[in-house]
Amino acid sequence: MCGILAVFGCIDSSQAKRSRIIELSRRLRHRGPDWSGLHCHGDCYLAHQRLAIVDPTSGDQPLYNEDKTVVVTVNGEIYNHKQLRAQLKNHTFRTGSDCEVIAHLYEEYGENFVHMLDGMFSFVLLDTRDKSFIAARDAIGITPLYMGWGLDGIADYPAGSIWFASEMKALSDDCERFMTFLPGHIYSSKEGAIRRWYNPPWYSEQIPSTPYDPLLLRRAFEKACSGLSLYSLNSAVLKRLMTDVPFGVLLSGGLDSSLVAAVASRYLAESEAACQWGSQLHTFCIGLKGSPDLKAAREVADYLGTRHHEFHFTVQEGIDALEEVIYHIETYDVTTIRASTPMFLMSRKIKSLGVKMVISGEGSDEIFGGYLYFHKAPNKEEFHQETCRKIKALHLYDCLRANKSTSAWGVEARVPFLDKEFIDLAMSIDPEWKMIRPDLRRIEKWVLRNAFDDEEKPYLPKVIHLLLLNMFNHGLMLYIILLFLSQKEQFSDGVGYSWIDGLRDHANQHVTDAMLMNASYVYPENTPTTKEAYYYRTIFEKFFPKNAARSTVPGGPSVACSTAKAVEWDAAWSKNLDPSGRAALGVHAAAYEEAADPKPAKPMNGLRLITDNEDLAIKLCCGEPCRLTS
Amino acid sequence: MCGILAVLGCSDDSQAKRVRVLELSRRLKHRGPDWSGIYQHGDFYLAHQRLAIIDPASGDQPLYNEDRKIVVTVNGEIYNHEQLRKRLKNHKFLTGSDCEVIAHLYEEYGENFVDMLDGMFSFVLLDTRDNSFIAARDAIGITSLYIGWGLDGSVWISSELKGLNDDCEHFETFPPGQLYSSKSGGFKQWYNPLWFSEVVPSTPYDPLALRLAFENAVIKRLMTDVPFGVLLSGGLDSSLVASITARHLASAKVAKQWGTQLHSFCVGLEGSPDLKSAREVADYLGTVHHEFHFTVQDGIDAIEDVIYHIETYDVTTIRASTPMFLMARKIKSLGVKMVMSGEGSDEVFGGYLYFHKAPNKEELHRETCHKIKALHQYDCLRANKSTSAWGLEARVPFLDKDFINVAMAIDPEWKMIKPEEGRIEKWVLRRAFDDEERPYLPKHILYRQKEQFSDGVGYSWIDGLKAHAAQHVTDKMMQNAQHIYPHNTPSTKEAYYYRMIFERFFPQNSARMTVPGGPSVACSTAKAIEWDAAWANNLDPSGRAALGVHLSAYSHQAATTTAMKLPSKVIDDMRRMMEISTPELAISS
Repeated sequence: MCGILAVFGCIDSSQAKRSRIIELSRRLRHRGPDWSGLHCHGDCYLAHQRLAIVDPTSGDQPLYNEDKTVVVTVNGEIYNHKQLRAQLKNHTFRTGSDCEVIAHLYEEYGENFVHMLDGMFSFVLLDTRDKSFIAARDAIGITPLYMGWGLDGIADYPAGSIWFASEMKALSDDCERFMTFLPGHIYSSKEGAIRRWYNPPWYSEQIPSTPYDPLLLRRAFEKACSGLSLYSLNSAVLKRLMTDVPFGVLLSGGLDSSLVAAVASRYLAESEAACQWGSQLHTFCIGLKGSPDLKAAREVADYLGTRHHEFHFTVQEGIDALEEVIYHIETYDVTTIRASTPMFLMSRKIKSLGVKMVISGEGSDEIFGGYLYFHKAPNKEEFHQETCRKIKALHLYDCLRANKSTSAWGVEARVPFLDKEFIDLAMSIDPEWKMIRPDLRRIEKWVLRNAFDDEEKPYLPKVIHLLLLNMFNHGLMLYIILLFLSQKEQFSDGVGYSWIDGLRDHANQHVTDAMLMNASYVYPENTPTTKEAYYYRTIFEKFFPKNAARSTVPGGPSVACSTAKAVEWDAAWSKNLDPSGRAALGVHAAAYEEAADPKPAKPMNGLRLITDNEDLAIKLCCGEPCRLTS
Repeated sequence: MCGILAVLGCSDDSQAKRVRVLELSRRLKHRGPDWSGIYQHGDFYLAHQRLAIIDPASGDQPLYNEDRKIVVTVNGEIYNHEQLRKRLKNHKFLTGSDCEVIAHLYEEYGENFVDMLDGMFSFVLLDTRDNSFIAARDAIGITSLYIGWGLDGSVWISSELKGLNDDCEHFETFPPGQLYSSKSGGFKQWYNPLWFSEVVPSTPYDPLALRLAFENAVIKRLMTDVPFGVLLSGGLDSSLVASITARHLASAKVAKQWGTQLHSFCVGLEGSPDLKSAREVADYLGTVHHEFHFTVQDGIDAIEDVIYHIETYDVTTIRASTPMFLMARKIKSLGVKMVMSGEGSDEVFGGYLYFHKAPNKEELHRETCHKIKALHQYDCLRANKSTSAWGLEARVPFLDKDFINVAMAIDPEWKMIKPEEGRIEKWVLRRAFDDEERPYLPKHILYRQKEQFSDGVGYSWIDGLKAHAAQHVTDKMMQNAQHIYPHNTPSTKEAYYYRMIFERFFPQNSARMTVPGGPSVACSTAKAIEWDAAWANNLDPSGRAALGVHLSAYSHQAATTTAMKLPSKVIDDMRRMMEISTPELAISS
């Protein structure tokens, strides 16, 4: 990742302003520790902090077209830059940077080229010939981008100077108003407006009807695609192996990260990166000592033969990092903060090993409906629409977490599940297939699991695979093994159960009942309903005190990560709109009373427990009497 | 390098205080980007930001003795830690970190062990049995350290000023070679070598002994578990370091992990003298050489950041730090965590221009002593903080304790500059490495006189800085300078410009007192000004006064150089002028 900051139409072009821009750009330096650059054209500034992944020696930014009339500052990776270059035969390129292609595409096609880019990106482009500019963000919002307006309007900019920045911290102090730049959108100064450039079929939320083809899905994720000429011929994972620096895979031991690791290690030998950095894949996992993730990841790493790195943290270390985490990820969303902290700590360790880029498994739960509450989806239409809404909201949750937790330490996270082509394919599948059907032995994300169930060349340890697929056929013993080996934990629980307990205890110590009682007066917008939320909120407000800042963070009713709409799926949910999901707990606890029994010591974790033990939940859904002995 | 911060006895053990200490410790994160640790014992806090060079896997700090009663947070490298461990046979070590030995030495010897450490270090050690603590800094002050006092009775120790300046009522530079003990409540000089008394030594010059001492100094600094390199400006000092490193790398432990080919780094404006000289040396030594170019604008844009990091308003330090700061970022981005550098040689051997005017060997010797004692405010500060800004560690073999002892025991008669005998400055060092059979460096490089750092990166660098300052500091501002800045009043627009930036980051009175000032001619101490009557008459610290002297002294030769056409440059070009004055060297430009 890199950090970008652009300012257009500030009232003064003095040295003081230049210094100020440099100072603000430095706030993004963690994103790009390798070098920085600033282009100043009259009252327009484009600043860049670079993390050098492709072409470290010559790709310093900002980048230019041939005659230097078009300037662009980019945060991101363009995976199909070689194909695009080949299309731009009459252009001379100055660097080997994948991002330079943006300046040339603009020259060639004007403002309508963003859809041609395959990758994750945020960029601001200045055309010095007419002082017009555009800014755009990738389809899903894998890279962050904010837009703001200053008070110092001049004739050309009556609404005030216009700012763009990779993170809020670079513009929050100097802008009167700012907001999240919507993913899949482009801002054009000529039009003076933002419009959407990303228009895939799934966006309309119409119900698709393509039958499920496991091999096609597998290929899209793993190997050569059917060959849409514009895009790279590589698959979602393979194209993300484009790098000139050491890299690795974040491996929690769950399905998604395990698949990413399995595919990456299988195809690493064929990639260009292997020539430079060896063909042994590095994998990384973090957890409290003895946590489920560590165990599960170790299992998968052993199976795949990766060079596995385990990092341990203590609850105290996590708590000590909270302020920094919130400063970096710029949210007060409780689940995001819980999950970001271990990722943030791990990124620092990864970086200290000299690794600059990691591949991560975000997005799968959204595309395939992997969250617990999808069990309650009433029909395939609702199911599909909910996955669409989840994908559209990713930039506020998991994308934000993955990007900012890693960028805090100059590590770049790539997310193959959010590959444009892969999404198109996965979202065109008739959602009937994604529905969770215990009666048909289809657990959540079954379409993905089934696609990678290769008897001859298994991707994942057979025992895990078998269990995942055939758990309904097996009895108690296997079930226990399943719990030990492959129980799917969500990030925050997987790092160790005491992590969330520790956070809660800590917050309870520092937020009094009286404080929480007055919360609605102190924080009328997105009022925190738990002490933990209140605690995070106070930290957030300290760093980002403006109204605009708190409006960038989503709120509203939610049950176990659902959107507000999905709350309607269960009458009991919608009657009690406690956003913490505690309400849902009751429902579930009642429904699965017997199941919750084995871990009665953690009632507070109950929701998560059930959420995370979807397999367990499913098991109980289908009414098979099984009880844990432990 | 790492970053340490200790807050001791602040009568506050609340969560708010802990958060504050963590926040302040984060200001030192650039020094130790790899991990952080905090230890709290009541109202005692020891925080650490780690750059992992030795034992990256287990050496996270703070470190403890066996029963965890003694806690220590260290910034530095202890080169003789393996020998020391052997002496502590009955101690069990918890990590492979070189710094852990400090906790055990304290356990064994009490407060009097610092002189046993060979290396560069700053540390704070807390004995939780009686809540006493000590803090110490290495002999020369290679690592940076500050001490402060809070109104709540707390004592603060921090690697950089920015870790404590906002929370202390008073603070100052922690003196190098000293130990602060809470039991005695004061400082104690632990570093007491012979040269410290400034008595003029009489050991005859032994080239081989000097060579051996320096080779050892370099070899012990090859202790690392991570990729490293050499800063190579192409001058004598850095070239010698590179040559010796290249020669001994193959037999060092580190070669097994990171290969036997040495990486060397040089920075400059495009086409600058340093780039050319360094390339020549690199080619001769066969290193993997990396050249970094910067523009004057890049440098100017970095100035604020540089001053924030190096925490000084000293003009020559800022000029020289900026290219080093930019280069450090590039070096780090290549995955290199440690570099060897040539600082200290000019001080130990009297390599500065004004040493030509040393009236006698006694004066010369005393001046070298003063210069070494002041190193922590100038070149050590620059080398340490410019690199640490990007999580890069600089090691300086010329400031090895044993080497200094050998070099400072030489009868200073040998260090006197005697053009008539063919002895140019630093001749004793050059001569020591003049090996006909296995040459360390080609003769013309070994006896080459080179630009000072800020000039070597390209002549227009300093011109650019001056021009930039002149644009932003008016004559009126200069007129009032003494009222605005009564202490160490800036006498040039450039100095004024830097000062404004410094005061913005560090507005406290204590902060400006940590920066040295006073009369100086071309980096001399105040005392050496007496060497030339003309200098003493005009105490312009910028050295412009000295210029007149030199211009007149060497005017017949200087007239032939381009320097004469660009008077503003001449001030910074004294090195070049000396080339003219030394008959055995031709001017190539």
